[in-house]
Amino acid sequence: MEPTLLNRYEDQMWELVGMMPGTEGLRMRALKAASEMGWPKKHDEKWHYSDTRALRDTVFLQAKAATTVPGMPAPLAAETSARLVFVNGRYSEDLSDMGDLWQAAQVRPLANHLMSNMDRADELVRGKDAATCLNTALMRDGMVLSVPAGVEIEDPVEIIHITEDNADAASHLRHIIELGEGASITLIERYAGDANGYWTNSVLQARISENASLHHIRLQEDGANAHHTGKVFANVGTDANYTATNLNLGGALSRVEVNVRLMIDGASATVDGVALAATAQSHDTYTQIEHLMPNTDSDQLFRTIADSRGKTSFQGKVIVAKDAQKVEAEQSFKALVFDKTAEANAKPELEILADDVKCSHGATVGQLDEKAIFYLTSRGIDPATARQMLVEAFTADALKAIEFDDVKTAVLERISEWMAARADKAILQE
Amino acid sequence: MLKINDLHIRVAGTEIIKGLDLEVKAGEVHAVMGLNGAGKSTLANTIAGREDYDVTKGSISYLGKNLLDLDPHERVGEGIFLGFQYPVEIPGVSNLNFMRTALNGIRKYRGQEAMSAAEFMKLIRSKASALQMDPEMLKRFVNVGFSGGEKKRNEMVQMALLDPKLAILDETDSGLDIDALKIVAEGINTQRRSDTAILLITHYQRLLDYVQPDVVHVMIDGKIVKSGGKDLALELEEKGYAAVA
Repeated sequence: MEPTLLNRYEDQMWELVGMMPGTEGLRMRALKAASEMGWPKKHDEKWHYSDTRALRDTVFLQAKAATTVPGMPAPLAAETSARLVFVNGRYSEDLSDMGDLWQAAQVRPLANHLMSNMDRADELVRGKDAATCLNTALMRDGMVLSVPAGVEIEDPVEIIHITEDNADAASHLRHIIELGEGASITLIERYAGDANGYWTNSVLQARISENASLHHIRLQEDGANAHHTGKVFANVGTDANYTATNLNLGGALSRVEVNVRLMIDGASATVDGVALAATAQSHDTYTQIEHLMPNTDSDQLFRTIADSRGKTSFQGKVIVAKDAQKVEAEQSFKALVFDKTAEANAKPELEILADDVKCSHGATVGQLDEKAIFYLTSRGIDPATARQMLVEAFTADALKAIEFDDVKTAVLERISEWMAARADKAILQE
Repeated sequence: MLKINDLHIRVAGTEIIKGLDLEVKAGEVHAVMGLNGAGKSTLANTIAGREDYDVTKGSISYLGKNLLDLDPHERVGEGIFLGFQYPVEIPGVSNLNFMRTALNGIRKYRGQEAMSAAEFMKLIRSKASALQMDPEMLKRFVNVGFSGGEKKRNEMVQMALLDPKLAILDETDSGLDIDALKIVAEGINTQRRSDTAILLITHYQRLLDYVQPDVVHVMIDGKIVKSGGKDLALELEEKGYAAVA
């Protein structure tokens, strides 16, 4: 076994075992696996577009608790069933508002859950790598939410993560979602933080039973110097649906991985996303959708924009198992680059072992259409507004799954703000 | 209103307009006629402010201002409108949102308050119905899936909405059947007033049967070689460009 910095996380692990007795077996196995695998490097295909040096050359401490009340980001949804706030990787009872959610569903902190039901914590996690294993070894907090059969939670549940004053420290979060038959919920998972070089390493696992549906909006707005590695594992049952909109705006290095297993006939998934990479940001999305049974559908649509020296990447893997006939899988990736120093990478990957399937994929990289800009400005629209309209139009398709108008408006505002910041920069450079 | 002196324009390194003079006064309709490649569209796009067209010599003055100092959207604010030969398709942007943003862009430039959505809807519905445009077209994406005629009609609705002082219409008649041509002509005639001027760019005289120009110019190889009354258009149609010039 190669000596690796990953061994040096052992002290942290024992500290957590002290806090959550009984978890040592799970954590030790995970840390051992992480050490054996080592950090993914450039030749690891799944991590090819993300430079992990900053992560593998540092031992990140556990984020320390906040001593002051952090600045709260504005809510995305006007009405929520509950708002759970995690500060520096810890659940904050003071800042959270559990609303009526506890009456309809079961919500518990991760620590309580691990005491009684440790197996669940890791069982959906597949395709493990050092980041995920380290998450299992060092997970400290998270939300465990079970929505009973037949319960439909109308307003979104918002989980907000804030990190402040934690340079070179990490939050390893683990959220576990369980939807009973016919249950439905919209989950907004958000990340924000200050300008320190902290690391957010989160894993969310979801089990979606027959006829249930999980709408997942994931908004990554970590600070400009943060590292963000996020994973989603969703198992989708008969006639059940997982719908996700992944929005990546923050961080210096951001890599989000979405793994969906369509387990039984009629399972479907929509995985969309928008990434906006400003100068020196790298936004990498990796998706893997497994069609394990016939009559399962998936649909992916990603739109990304990279400013000067910004980088966006998308790798989408679709696997259709042997005998999984009548599968439909679509994938569309479009990137805009603002100049020659901006980078966009796209890599669709299809692994199809059945013969009666409809799978398609398309990827394009381009620039904003100058003809369209001239057309808009020749009608009296100023160039910054014209660019903004085109960018909004470009990203609109990838936001189609957001059903709440106020959430969609808030997301569009962020895209507008991002474009406005680019315009300001352009004016300063003139 | 518009005064062009000894204008030279280069496009991608090639001189297209080679010393052009033109004066258009308020209340006048001018037609610029010429074959493909004569530089008509280059002239129209330069007046509207297209960036990659390089004015190497000469001047364009509009209402006493140096037009070349203004950005395209500022020119619109000053009252200039270009009807495109090939209106651009913009997927994802609705026609309504486009027109409202345009109108409010101009109002902002002029220091006026933005028009409310309700007021705008009333205005745009009346303009669209005057030009017999199906209101459903307003909800669609800008020019996406429009036929050639529908695109030109859409240009006319925009002109009526923005109410320019100087309208330059680049081949607005091309690709139209006779019914659509009549509607477009009616739109142009509505815009014809003592305080506005219209520059029609065309290579057929067909449109001029419905919109009678005050002055007709013949453009060949980047210059205006002959100007005259509306009979000049008929003469061109009959004898061809070579004979007339």
